[in-house]
Amino acid sequence: MARYQTVFKDETKLDISFVPSRLPHRDRELRLLMEFFSFMLQFPGKMAQRIIVTGDVGTGKTVLSQRFGNDITSEANKRGINLRYIHVNCREYRGSLFLTLHHIVSIFHPNFPKRGYSPEELLRMLMQMLDEENTYVILTLDEFESLIEQEGSEAVYKLTRLQEIRQGKPQRLSLICILRSLKAVEQLDASTRSTLQSNILRLDKYSSQQLKDVLNDRISLAYKPFAVPEDTVSLIAELASSEGGNARFGIELLWRAGKYADAENLDVVAPECVRRAVSSVYPATKKSDLEFLSLHEKLFLLGVARAFKESQKASISFMEAEQAYAIACEESGAQPHSHTQLWKYLQTFSNIGILKTEVLQASPRGKSTRIYLPRIPAYDLEKELSALLEKEKP
Amino acid sequence: MDIEDVFSSKVRMKILKVIARVGELNVSDITRRLGANYETTNKNLKILEDEGILQHKVFGRIRLYRFNEHSSKARAVQNLIEAWEHANKN
Repeated sequence: MARYQTVFKDETKLDISFVPSRLPHRDRELRLLMEFFSFMLQFPGKMAQRIIVTGDVGTGKTVLSQRFGNDITSEANKRGINLRYIHVNCREYRGSLFLTLHHIVSIFHPNFPKRGYSPEELLRMLMQMLDEENTYVILTLDEFESLIEQEGSEAVYKLTRLQEIRQGKPQRLSLICILRSLKAVEQLDASTRSTLQSNILRLDKYSSQQLKDVLNDRISLAYKPFAVPEDTVSLIAELASSEGGNARFGIELLWRAGKYADAENLDVVAPECVRRAVSSVYPATKKSDLEFLSLHEKLFLLGVARAFKESQKASISFMEAEQAYAIACEESGAQPHSHTQLWKYLQTFSNIGILKTEVLQASPRGKSTRIYLPRIPAYDLEKELSALLEKEKP
Repeated sequence: MDIEDVFSSKVRMKILKVIARVGELNVSDITRRLGANYETTNKNLKILEDEGILQHKVFGRIRLYRFNEHSSKARAVQNLIEAWEHANKN
């Protein structure tokens, strides 16, 4: 039996549930969260906190909260404070306050009955449990929008104003509400909004360079040394950047690309593995998109596909594309079109989303253009175009 | 109560087995798992609690029963059930 070889050192480090010890470009936000809750460590029970964490998909809201949860829990334990961090995805509980609260109660009493009481009673029971065990909870409600959509102001009000019906008792429940945008909060009535909106932590989209740092951190944990070339990292970062700075998307691509490398028995994760990974996430360009291209558009794209297949790089120069196109023309007996015309084709492909271009101010002689094939495996594109050109032969 | 009186009831032995298996349970769930009626379960839970084997916590209308963690009798019963079930499996 052939020996199984893998590019991975530990692929669990690319799992969505993995919380890394370091969060590149989120240090400030992590410190800020700690600042918000430092009072809780100094004077437990004197004050409960309510924070909103907001940001687009893949900006690190969940992982930031979880990292914070681990850090503050261990700090609290060192100080002898009984603190639990509980992270609940509200969507997983269909946005129901009852199911969300039942999940939390089940952490303390695993066989707690599922019927026979209201959410208000459940909330009171939870507080009783916390009082009895002298425990403090930081509850993170991830995808908080779904709770607002499902339950409206009243449920949120109950959660946020809980302490007011417990006058004189320790403040045991703090909240972190995670939302993509603050629009959902605007649906709440004014008094509920005012209890929530005092502390808002906004996470900006990661830039392409920041995404590279995030990816490189994960690569060092998950992959064998030198298994992921810089070119591949750049390509994934570009793709994640075009998905709105989505680091989660980038990490998933990184994992998938590794799987394709393993399937091909490769020692390194080549850019072509990334393209295969992307096309498995998104449907590749439809055949019909290619069918409607003119003969020379097809020939140019065929040249580009071949150039990528041979080079195994993340990008090629315009000159390399032009040379590959000239060979494709010679094979089909067509007279090559001018440089200016090819430039127009390139813009068309860029608009359709098949190719991506980047203009670099590299040389003193002027600009140079790099061409990327981000989403479609070069091998598949070549095969598809060759078949279409074959059909068109007289 | 003497030991033979405590352990002579099938309902009480079943209650102890259920709690040994799941750790903690409310009265309705114990009743359902036993296939007994609520009153019978309740009466026998009280006996086991009076003997110091079980203890309960109240949350609103919910009573959750578990082994009494401070009782040597409870530990002995748990060990007996565990050893018995383990031997029966092998």
